[in-house]
Amino acid sequence: MNVHTYEKIWLVAAMVLIVAFIATITYGSVGLGIAMVGDQQPTIEPTELGDDERFGEPRVEQVGENEYEAYVVAQTFSYQPDPIEVPEDSQVTFYVTARDVIHSFSIAGTNVNTMAIPGEIAEMTVEFDEAGEYGIVCNEYCGPDHHNMEGKLHVVSADEFDLTDLSADGPDEVAVGDSVDVDVVVENRQLEDLETTVTLEIGDETVSEEVTVPGGDAVETTLSVDSSALGEGDHDWTVTVDDHDSSGSVTVLEELDDDADGGEDDE
Amino acid sequence: MSNVYIDQFPAEAKVIRAAFYSSFLALALGGVFGIIQTLHRTDFLRFMDSVDYYTVLTAHGVFLVISFTIFFLVGIFTWAVTTSLDRGLEDIRFTWGWYSLMAIGITMTGVAILAGFTDAIDMSASVLFTFYAPLQAHPLFYLGLVLFVVGTWVAGVDWFRSWWAWKAENPDERIPLPTFMVLTTMLMWYIATLGVAAAILLFLLPWSLGLIETVNPLLTRTLFWFFGHPVVYFWLMPAYMMWYVMLPKFSGGKLFSDPLARVVFVLFLILSVPTGIHHQYLDPGIAEGFKFIAMTNTMFLLLPSLLTAFTVVASMEHGARQRGGEGYFGWLKALPWRDPVFTGMALAGLMFAAAGFSGMINAGMNINYLVHNTFWVVGHFHLTVGTAVALTFMAVTYWFLPQVTGKALWSRSVALGQVVVWFVGMTFMSNAMHRAGLLGVPRRTAEPQYEGFEFQAAVGSIGELDAQIALGGVLLTISLGMFFANVVGTALNGRSDDLPANEYAGALSGPDDAPLVLDNLKLWTAIAVVLVIFAYTFPLLSIIDRGGLFGPEVIPFPLTVESATTLGFALETAASTSFESAGEIATSALTAVMR
Amino acid sequence: MRISKAALLVVIALTVPILVELRTVLAWVNVELTVLESAVLGMTMILAILIWALWPQNGRGDPSRSG
Ligand code: HEM
Ligand SMILES: [Cu+2]
Ligand SMILES: [Cu+2]
Repeated sequence: MNVHTYEKIWLVAAMVLIVAFIATITYGSVGLGIAMVGDQQPTIEPTELGDDERFGEPRVEQVGENEYEAYVVAQTFSYQPDPIEVPEDSQVTFYVTARDVIHSFSIAGTNVNTMAIPGEIAEMTVEFDEAGEYGIVCNEYCGPDHHNMEGKLHVVSADEFDLTDLSADGPDEVAVGDSVDVDVVVENRQLEDLETTVTLEIGDETVSEEVTVPGGDAVETTLSVDSSALGEGDHDWTVTVDDHDSSGSVTVLEELDDDADGGEDDE
Repeated sequence: MSNVYIDQFPAEAKVIRAAFYSSFLALALGGVFGIIQTLHRTDFLRFMDSVDYYTVLTAHGVFLVISFTIFFLVGIFTWAVTTSLDRGLEDIRFTWGWYSLMAIGITMTGVAILAGFTDAIDMSASVLFTFYAPLQAHPLFYLGLVLFVVGTWVAGVDWFRSWWAWKAENPDERIPLPTFMVLTTMLMWYIATLGVAAAILLFLLPWSLGLIETVNPLLTRTLFWFFGHPVVYFWLMPAYMMWYVMLPKFSGGKLFSDPLARVVFVLFLILSVPTGIHHQYLDPGIAEGFKFIAMTNTMFLLLPSLLTAFTVVASMEHGARQRGGEGYFGWLKALPWRDPVFTGMALAGLMFAAAGFSGMINAGMNINYLVHNTFWVVGHFHLTVGTAVALTFMAVTYWFLPQVTGKALWSRSVALGQVVVWFVGMTFMSNAMHRAGLLGVPRRTAEPQYEGFEFQAAVGSIGELDAQIALGGVLLTISLGMFFANVVGTALNGRSDDLPANEYAGALSGPDDAPLVLDNLKLWTAIAVVLVIFAYTFPLLSIIDRGGLFGPEVIPFPLTVESATTLGFALETAASTSFESAGEIATSALTAVMR
Repeated sequence: MRISKAALLVVIALTVPILVELRTVLAWVNVELTVLESAVLGMTMILAILIWALWPQNGRGDPSRSG
């Protein structure tokens, strides 16, 4: 074959270029240890996400000192959880799956980007150095409302961040003289123990209690206020733990007939 | 008798005309949808519901990259085979047969898509041209695609028949270059289309008919990309053929090297298919190693394109020097810029070089994460298929149309203006799309304006990028208008006796310099098949092993009526619910599942 | 004319990608041109090209002028 000299030079240059590309990218992904979305995770039944340990309750969980895991479900046309909150200076591994059709989980303007395919779980580890807010978009067409599919990712400062969950429950009615008992559950999904104060405010009364919630655990307690101090009528109450609060209301009645006791309410 | 194509091969000219006009109809429709969606997305003009945006986008994609490109290329392939073998097709009824298959097929698909605009017909196919399951289209959509592809298969047989007949009469001759290019391209196409054929016939069509309950979304998606990458070369190789066998002629010279042109097409044949997984770098369920193999193959696929760049420029320079051009760069002045065919192809080639750059970014496994499915990608392929291919096709139309109609081109000046306006319009549109993509603006989205956050623009603002995209889109639409004015004007012209002869460029270094082995199509096909097996067997097996052949239980979207068991029955009862109502049903079904 | 009218048209068309890409590249080094500035720059480039193209070449002047 008759190949012109210039053509030979070009050919060699082209091959060198190609090999250089491959080398750079190999170094970029293997050498620097940047993991790509692959087949690390097992498959999952998309119709049974509700019973799944990880995706039944999509959430963020702490797994190491600065390490977190986020279980995210993409579905027409939203993400769970939303917003996703993680602390700064952390390393977060996202596990993303889809409940129905193919979506994506893409943090706008970054290279955090993966497909969410029903039946498959994408795994991706991301480091967040600074606090900030990001938009999450679905960039894989998923149906008529695709353009409304968005979520938010908040990277918050270490002091603001916690994985505490508070729930409180109180009676609807009590008779004057009985005590109003509010049951409180404080859950701590971080690893470290949480030492904090649970405060119940009702009318002018305030009671509080110091609690220590072990990491990855929950604590139950009951705070009580004597209803005579409140007097008859409706009273709103609020339970607070750090930045979280939960509220309800109670009616204090003059006298409860024996048969009316708890009659309407079976909570 | 003159040397114009229509006089040499009147019957073939008629088929080619039919293919061209089908192609132009698709281009016109696609163009209208293109400007509608551009103005809608950028929020300059919204006269439809955003839900309909996806129907428009499906139509834009399918009409442009399936009908426009493929109808045009079967036209020029027919021209290439008949001209270079200097013989008519074996049986013109056979030829009309495949043309009809293609036409019927694409009409069915088109009807299924366009029916999505009205609630009156219970049919929709707003699944975009990638039709990823569990998004589900009406069976007519899939069936039409199948017929269309089968039509192209038969077309390939037609050209092979010509070649076999010719070879029997000329046993010792080298395959003429244009025919060689057609045959290698078709061999590549046969291998490539096995992917979609399997996806549609084994899974999607039976599923849309209710014959099977579920599909494996990752499997059908992988089979789609088995085809989805090489289809790119199915569009590109005819454009390359034009750059090799026509551009040198229009520059006033000869092709630099016939053997290297053959090498390039052989490389495309063997490397086009085992790369499709590079569209799935972000897919969970495919091991990194497989992605890596696809990436390596993709990078080697750069080689034939780089070689083409060299040959094209070298041939142009040769032509310019024949025309009296001098100096290092001075020869550029001697090129026939007045000729819209030449200028259009040269500008298309230039844009393709830019596209090569953004393509290398896409191909990088890790950099891909930044741009995958963003508007960047749309910017990229409007340079490749939307310009390198489309502009080349439009430019050569100015030469082919007179050849197959026997009528003189209506206006050379309008034609020159048209290719230049396309170039300028695409520069604006594509540049802004690339930049918007880097900010994370997604593709395929009716309203990329979100409630919870805003994209942070690096220069200017999102508003400015949108304006630039809209400006580009308007210029492109004007350019299309000029193109159609010329097509119609030419068709209305009377017969002309003053047309150039039907011929293609000779080569400086001719076929006799090419080693014989290059013409051994069986060998190259075998190598191609081995590479495909190597690249795809394990990924496919692993996907099936993980998710099952028919996948997990998924909810088809839109939901289909269950009872459609036979094909005929299904076609009569438009089997799927319309998209909007299906959306509601699915959402409520989902909430029900969640509770 | 130094170049043909058609070549001039193409050269002018080529200023568009040069300008658009220049603006993109400059943004990376934190030089941000506004739309107006870019348009003015573009006009200047085109004007310069026009002057270059239409200027009579030395020696062989424009036939109509050298009369
Ligand atoms: C008037 C000229 C054109 C305009 C204004 C235009 C505009 C657009 C826009 C704005 C999109 C992006 C929509 C989105 O992602 O939301 C798009 C997508 C697309 N365009 Fe064009 N385009 C034009 C011509 C072409 C041509 C000539 C081709 C190919 C031959 C083409 C092929 C495509 C394809 C394949 C898509 C992707 C469809 C999808 O994502 O499913 N376009 N076009
Ligand atoms: Cu989505
Ligand atoms: Cu590709």
